[in-house]
Amino acid sequence: MATCLLASHESRSLLRACPMNTFEFFNQHFGRHLVSQEGEPDFAAYRALSSNHKLVKGTESRLASGWAIVRPSISSVQLKLAATGLRFDERTRIEAFMEEFEQWDGIEPRMFLMFDKAPIPLENLFLTVDRRLVRICSPAGVETFDANKAPTEESGGIQKAIWKRK
Amino acid sequence: MEKLKISFTLQSPLVTNGGYMTLDALLAALIFDQGGDLEKAHADIPLMNTNGLWHGSAAFFEKIDTEKKGFVANLHAGHDLDLDLVMKNKSGNVHRAIGLTRRRDYGAVFNSYRMYTATEISWYATGDREQIQRLLSEVEFIGKRRASGFGQVANLVIEESDNDGVVGLFGEPLRPIPLEMFSGDKSSLRADAAWRPAYWHPMNRAVCYVPAQ
Repeated sequence: MATCLLASHESRSLLRACPMNTFEFFNQHFGRHLVSQEGEPDFAAYRALSSNHKLVKGTESRLASGWAIVRPSISSVQLKLAATGLRFDERTRIEAFMEEFEQWDGIEPRMFLMFDKAPIPLENLFLTVDRRLVRICSPAGVETFDANKAPTEESGGIQKAIWKRK
Repeated sequence: MEKLKISFTLQSPLVTNGGYMTLDALLAALIFDQGGDLEKAHADIPLMNTNGLWHGSAAFFEKIDTEKKGFVANLHAGHDLDLDLVMKNKSGNVHRAIGLTRRRDYGAVFNSYRMYTATEISWYATGDREQIQRLLSEVEFIGKRRASGFGQVANLVIEESDNDGVVGLFGEPLRPIPLEMFSGDKSSLRADAAWRPAYWHPMNRAVCYVPAQ
């Protein structure tokens, strides 16, 4: 990262709240509870998203269904992983994302992940750092929307479903 | 180095896949096309650079109309796919055997894009007018699906501007700018975005102030 050019007090405090690398944030608050952190951050993130992980019931599974919200505090995941440091959360993805938008201070970053059979590609991993530009990351792509605004006809399914429940 | 506004008049709708289409990305791509040297393409962009940040704005265009556009791409492994670019499994092989003859082994892919009708696409920059003019005069099409006739360029205009290609006159970001490098309006939109070339590489992303699109 380039050296600070014009760092004000405000931007410094934002920087502390927002780690600058997507993968470092993912690993620090989610991936490290699942896989070892050897090598580059992007490779560790790839391993977390594509490897098998131990479940509470004793078997193993990839992150192949459900959702996760990665937070600087404890992260939530719908899959019953045998991982200390992650909170099991059985809400639906729409309930979880909607309630997160309502509670979120809009300053500390979040990652909204939806899992499917294929792993989420690294290029689809994005931090959300502004309520006006929310990013829902999935293997199929990234749904981007303004959480304050009503969906249009062309909006994605998550934004429409959340708005409908409001 | 001058402050410039650079505009293309468009003859056909523009197709994009999102992103900010910054001027430095466009110029780097044109330099790469000439010599095939990636490092040179990223080093020789004729724009001002401050601590890695190029003074070239995102693309701005007024959308007259917009719609989704789908394209089917038929991929044939032997011709279109460099296996060095495909992710490998633990044993160093590609995840799936790719056949050279049977279409079902590697067939059609459906890609969705966003298509915009616009009369003009513009950027702001601080840079070398002559070099920018020389590079951009080669451009016949811009955006995605250029070979299908989208984003046809009719005319290039380069004129003086008050904008430096980084921060606008009202303090708004004109391109993705990492938080600590931004001195403009702190109420601007923030996003996790690539801020330097190669823009496709996720490791070049940072939390940035970004232009509203």
